[in-house]
Amino acid sequence: MSIDYLLHESPVGYAIFEVVHQPDTVGNRLKEVQDSVQDLSKFGKMVKLISFAPFQGAAQALENTNDISEGIASEYLLSLLEVNLPKSGKKNKITLGVAERNIAGAIKAAFPGLECETSDTSEIVADMLRGIRQHASKLLKQLQEGDVERAQLGLGHAYSRAKVKFSVQKNDNHII
Amino acid sequence: GRGGAKGGARTIIEPHRFPGIFIARGKEDMLVTKNLTPGESVYGEKRISVESSSMDKSVTNGDAAAPATKIEYRVWNPFRSKLAAGILGGLDEIFIKPSAKVLYLGAASGTSVSHVADVVGPTGTVFAVEFSHRSGRDLINMATHRTNVIPIIEDARQPLRYRMLVGMVDVIFADVAQPDQARIVAMNAHMFLKVGGGVVISIKANCIDSTAAPEQVFAQEVQKLKAEKIKPFEQITLEPFERDHCIVTGRYVRAST
Repeated sequence: MSIDYLLHESPVGYAIFEVVHQPDTVGNRLKEVQDSVQDLSKFGKMVKLISFAPFQGAAQALENTNDISEGIASEYLLSLLEVNLPKSGKKNKITLGVAERNIAGAIKAAFPGLECETSDTSEIVADMLRGIRQHASKLLKQLQEGDVERAQLGLGHAYSRAKVKFSVQKNDNHII
Repeated sequence: GRGGAKGGARTIIEPHRFPGIFIARGKEDMLVTKNLTPGESVYGEKRISVESSSMDKSVTNGDAAAPATKIEYRVWNPFRSKLAAGILGGLDEIFIKPSAKVLYLGAASGTSVSHVADVVGPTGTVFAVEFSHRSGRDLINMATHRTNVIPIIEDARQPLRYRMLVGMVDVIFADVAQPDQARIVAMNAHMFLKVGGGVVISIKANCIDSTAAPEQVFAQEVQKLKAEKIKPFEQITLEPFERDHCIVTGRYVRAST
């Protein structure tokens, strides 16, 4: 199965990459192939950034983080896919690689013609998404040094605070 | 006597062989880390201030030399931190060093995490995952003072849920005390650990299987890690600080050979 596109969910926004050169499944486990994922100069030739949709502010970033965590495809994500992926039909099936199966289900529900592969079903998707995660700050060209780290810090606090605050187990259970 | 470790004039700070970690030599020798937030203790631990005039370059131990006249260190108690116990127990490699990115599973209230944050310094990052909301609140509080700690209140069993918050890391440290902890570490490694990255796991035999002999439990866990592409590096027990505990370290080798 060939993977045409990859979805990367980063704390600064969603990004769609086109897979330019794909390692074959048989060779995927070979050390050389995985080494090339390590090396940005080689990996940069395997994927091409098609579109990057940055989050407009912390509130939207947190909302999308919560959605991704629950396996929900937000309007923002769906519109990005709508605009940037070619129409997938019977003649030319388009396959999108995503990280997790719930989000794959949500995307397929919105775009029935689209095929989705996840990190579970395809080792190639897993390896390529690892590569994008590793080189994200370089691959997303409009970002500056430290942008991703700052976004992770802000989002980590926002996400975790919300978790703790809205917990029903906030108070200890006293034995009466 | 009174004051114990206080009275910095008498105490000499020497670098530990691990970069970013130090030994305070006074009446007793203590493991210490350089306080990222001078003037503050995280959990009531003792602090030691040393005049930087008495320090030479070798004492910075891989860290950038500080311009301040006084440098403050925090005492790292091996009875309270398994990582500290492992370091004193003679681990050969902990992978955690200045500028490293660390995924810390089982962060609890963040007491050990704060020392790891001291070690990696301002250019490193600690992604601290803790599921319990009660400990999580303390963890978040600690992280507000240390901007290199990213608190993540989430289940370490479901790394996909926090995939937007974590980047690729150099090291995974795990102290989750769960029967399926090898699997938990492996899932996180497959998502976030760089190829060749380090794994440090604290294993409490009782938490895995309370009926089997500890040595047998440790051996089983090492086998599980091997099956998940984590090549074991060493294993030490945490005696005399903890009973029936061990730390296993390894390297993540993603490609099958």
